[in-house]
Amino acid sequence: MGLDFSVIPGYIDILIAGTLWTIALTILSIILSVSGGVLFAILQLNRHAVVRWPVSFIAWLFMGTPLLLQLFLIYFGLVQIGLDLNAFVAGVIALSLHFAVYNSDIIKSAIVAVDKGQYEAARSLGLGQLQAMRKAIVPQAIANVTPALGNMMIALLKESSLVSVIGVMELTLSAQRAISDSFRPFEFYIAAAAIYYVLNLGLEHGVRIAERRSARYR
Amino acid sequence: MDLALMGRVWIYFADAALVTVQISILAILLGLILGTVAALGSLSIKTYLRWPSRAYVSVFRGTPALIQLFLLYFGGPQVGIHLDPFAAGVIGLGVNIGAYMCESIRGAIISVDKGQVEAGRCLGMGHVQVMRKVILPQAARMMVRPLGVNSIALIKGSAIVSTISVLELSYTAHRYISSTYKPFEMFILASVFYLIIVSIFSYGVGKIDKRVSLEN
Amino acid sequence: MGCRDDVLLVILNLSMPLIETGKGKLMSVILKTIAAAGVLAIGIVGATHTAKADELANVKSAGEMSIALTGAYPPFSLINEQNQVVGFDVDIGSEIAKRMGVKAKIVTTAWDGILAGLLAGKYDTIVGSMTATAERKKVVDFVGPYYRDGRAIFVSSSSNLTKLNDLKGKKVAVTLGETHEKWANAQKSMGWDVRTYKGLPELILELKNGRVDAFIIDSIPGRVAATSGIPIKMMDIPDLEGGNLPIGIAIRKGNPKLAAAMQAALDSMQADGTYKKISLKWVGADIR
Repeated sequence: MGLDFSVIPGYIDILIAGTLWTIALTILSIILSVSGGVLFAILQLNRHAVVRWPVSFIAWLFMGTPLLLQLFLIYFGLVQIGLDLNAFVAGVIALSLHFAVYNSDIIKSAIVAVDKGQYEAARSLGLGQLQAMRKAIVPQAIANVTPALGNMMIALLKESSLVSVIGVMELTLSAQRAISDSFRPFEFYIAAAAIYYVLNLGLEHGVRIAERRSARYR
Repeated sequence: MDLALMGRVWIYFADAALVTVQISILAILLGLILGTVAALGSLSIKTYLRWPSRAYVSVFRGTPALIQLFLLYFGGPQVGIHLDPFAAGVIGLGVNIGAYMCESIRGAIISVDKGQVEAGRCLGMGHVQVMRKVILPQAARMMVRPLGVNSIALIKGSAIVSTISVLELSYTAHRYISSTYKPFEMFILASVFYLIIVSIFSYGVGKIDKRVSLEN
Repeated sequence: MGCRDDVLLVILNLSMPLIETGKGKLMSVILKTIAAAGVLAIGIVGATHTAKADELANVKSAGEMSIALTGAYPPFSLINEQNQVVGFDVDIGSEIAKRMGVKAKIVTTAWDGILAGLLAGKYDTIVGSMTATAERKKVVDFVGPYYRDGRAIFVSSSSNLTKLNDLKGKKVAVTLGETHEKWANAQKSMGWDVRTYKGLPELILELKNGRVDAFIIDSIPGRVAATSGIPIKMMDIPDLEGGNLPIGIAIRKGNPKLAAAMQAALDSMQADGTYKKISLKWVGADIR
């Protein structure tokens, strides 16, 4: 059949729409997965086992099973217990939950790792408990987690392609729409890959900047 | 919870689990080979070895594995590559994870103490010999855990080959969900098998890690 | 295509030198990898079949014909509890293969890639309830038709939408790659919010959750779903465009011998009552 890249411009509007949805999906999921990660981390450091254990179980479950499977569960499953979700919302929830548990691991270690001595030093300098947290612990914890969380965000962007299987019209499914019309899979998957690559570069750049800024607090 | 249904169909999930294991093992082996070659290439003084390696890692870590798989399986025929779903799955996954493994291997090699390299040089070893006798044995110890992480990611990532109709765990789960409308039951069945596979693998990696550490 | 064993062998052979690396055989690892990569590349490219001769010969010599369908389109194709693909299309396809003296190999694949897959040589034919449209005839040939069906619009059982105009401005679901997708997107005057999904199970799900107001598919699968207890009903729109169309079996162009053999098998099935039996079994009526 050969290659014919000139078909791409004819479908550029579909691809752009898909790209915008991918960006929306990614940003929303990043925000929710980081917030979720903080929440899960705090819960997993709680004194009471009855709080820790369920959270740890869900974390173990979601880290040990594929995102794709979790996506099917959330999309098809939550309907059965009365939660009507459209595909986009299901996709955001699945991505956020999946990455929240990975993030909680990272954040948990960072909180624990900030030197206890730092906390005591801050207190001995006369800072109250909350102030010690705000000015000494949290900035250092943030500096610790930023590189690892940044990597998770970059991974999330790529994993967002999976929500195409439940019908979210993001970049991957948009490419498939173009393909089912033009019968040119090679050209459009290359186009989609190129767009993802550029988005990835942008995100990596952003993460690099965040790393540098937070490193000031080390 | 339709336990009766689960009791009737779990056997098909077991069959599918076997396929998941097969694909994972083959893809991991392919990934290790490509990762090693790319890692060594990326550390080479020779530009014509370094640039292709860096490009490979950048492209395959910078784009979604799903797109790489679709490109290979659906786009392949346009450039003369005809693969059946299983082969496309192995190669697609393997080439993808190879880029990540390259970074794990590279990281381990780089972290070998520079002093060791110099000591080797002082003893009169050439570059390749230093690699073979000094760096690689020590790097091997440090790369076990990161490569283990890569491999476990691959086992879970193998789920994407369900999209090209390979009859593995996730495909089977999706199939049954579509016809029985019982997603929780199917999720549980598939999850149990994934968790078993991942647990066994993690245990194995832990053992290898221990042995390699003790040897030094 | 049988690449599976080749891939296995090559990779296992490659992994042996890697295991020996610890004993310091670095150079040989690199050389073996390059050699093996070369072999693998040749093997992959070599597996390309340039189908210049009529493919009937290929099918006969292989002793099997690979048939693609979705497996998610009851009663034409579905997966039963024993993880087997069954249905009207499966039986028709298998019977045609039998009468040609070859085995049938059923392959399931998503609808939106099924035609591209045929063109790419991934299977020999599609017996997947594909409407033989003029546009599709430009890229593939059709054997048959093996039944006729038409467009229908389904709403929830409890819905009070009855006429086509009631649907103006509503949310309508279609399957990616189906003729209904194109048609729905072309009905500008209806002002529809067209939602595209991967297949029938998703269409039913979205209607059930109330995320869409109606979905558009061929009438038979919808009616069979309604009678099997799913809470949907067909809208009665007598002059709906695309209401009665030929459903064909797709094969690649340029294979008149294959087409003739398959057509002969189909015709003999229809003449001796086998077709009617299959039709009654899965649809409960003769759908020619």
